[in-house]
Amino acid sequence: MRSMTFASRNIKELLRDPLSYVFCLAFPIVMLIVMTIVNSAIPENPIPEGLPIDDSAVMVPTVFQIAKLTPAIAIFGMTFIMLFTCMRVSSDRAGAFLTRLYASPMKGTDYVLGYIFPFALIAFAQIVITYIAGDIIAVVDSKDTFNVLNMLISIPLFIPSVLLFIGTGILFGVLFNDKAAPGVCSAVITGAALLGGIWMDVDQMGGVWLSICDKLPFYYCVRAARFALAGDFQEMLFPLLISSAYAAAIFIISIIAFVKKMKSDKK
Amino acid sequence: MKTIIKTTDLTKKFGTKTAVDKLNLEIFEGEIFGLLGVNGAGKTTTIRMLTGLSAVTDGDAHIMDYSIKKDLQEIKRLTNISPQETAVAGNLTVKENLDFMGKIYGMNKEDTKKNIEKLFKSLELEEVQNQKAKTLSGGWQRRLSIAMALITDPNIIFLDEPTLGLDVLARRELWKIISSLKVKVTVILTTHYLDEVEALCDRIAIMAKGNLKALGTAEELKKKAGKEKLEDSFVEIVGGAEE
Repeated sequence: MRSMTFASRNIKELLRDPLSYVFCLAFPIVMLIVMTIVNSAIPENPIPEGLPIDDSAVMVPTVFQIAKLTPAIAIFGMTFIMLFTCMRVSSDRAGAFLTRLYASPMKGTDYVLGYIFPFALIAFAQIVITYIAGDIIAVVDSKDTFNVLNMLISIPLFIPSVLLFIGTGILFGVLFNDKAAPGVCSAVITGAALLGGIWMDVDQMGGVWLSICDKLPFYYCVRAARFALAGDFQEMLFPLLISSAYAAAIFIISIIAFVKKMKSDKK
Repeated sequence: MKTIIKTTDLTKKFGTKTAVDKLNLEIFEGEIFGLLGVNGAGKTTTIRMLTGLSAVTDGDAHIMDYSIKKDLQEIKRLTNISPQETAVAGNLTVKENLDFMGKIYGMNKEDTKKNIEKLFKSLELEEVQNQKAKTLSGGWQRRLSIAMALITDPNIIFLDEPTLGLDVLARRELWKIISSLKVKVTVILTTHYLDEVEALCDRIAIMAKGNLKALGTAEELKKKAGKEKLEDSFVEIVGGAEE
């Protein structure tokens, strides 16, 4: 009950900040439109002859194609959820608001659940909006449409990614103060975009770049989301498993870090 | 007079530094009790220990027979705090902030609503009830912060430097509010403003370097120091400790 009261406060704080609308909801739609325009300016087959063509390249020739772009943007949008989670936690820590709450009967789990719930809600709203926008763009741009069943199945499959990014946000909010936290998150946002294969096909790039990408969770989050929307659930399993493992690890670490910080603040 | 708080050799150490050293004092029900001292005297650390915000290194304190070492959850239900910095949720309205605190302390809807109405009247918050907390002036934010501590009907309220940084008019307004709490709630306030303790407090504990230097009414402290003014008495009492 206390966690829901705290969650309700956090959701109000988030919804009353105009920047959260810009970054969490409007930004993914703008990116979809911009990248679709970019895509229309790219020649139809961008893969040079002679280069090895893997399955994903055959499935979708360009990352800017709407069916491949939409799930990737949905993942990219979550990096902003991470930023807002981080800013909420770090700014609560910076002020005396958490001090007041530490003196209340609230327990560690109330805080953690109270932070997770509203941001998870916003994350799923963002995914749904991104998918609907993507589908509309697909119809307008190519008279094609997403498979509704794949869309519906793929949305809950975002759970590991949502928890991964919210967990990272909580972790950074605990580790860094409100001045440093946004900067660190910006670095992760850039890293996730480059190393997750959102704006470029890292499988085609191969080499050192791909070997770096496949050590990090972003690449797997993006791949799982793309395969899910394409209805290729068998291919999706491995990246989903890897991203789930990363999510579980980060999530547990973030909870431990928060509770530890709470205790150390009380020393 | 009934003792509501009793500290027994209450000690707080940060590494080798002793912030509060074997503090022994009794606070009575319904009084406004002032913890007076210069910066670093141990006032805030004492309040932090009594509210469970800081772990006790040694000794103990009993609040309404509950030990702060063993029964912290019970104590948290009976007390509330208005921290040194203004602690309000900026994007929530005045009413929402109060409602939030009530719910966090497990109050039901009806009691929360009743207490909000009561506080609107007593703290004159009605006119700003739908205003976001971050848009309020410093004085109003502090007033809201105190209201958030009172919404839960605590037996004891801790006010940590309640008028710090406020202009003279805002301070006087808050003094009126704090005075009106007398008898209904036991108030423990920390401050380094001498006029504030003299105007508000029934009894004053003077702290220096983590030690209790003197305890009594303003008149008793003046008598003890052999001075006419509280300020001179404070300097006399604390002066020795600071040298």
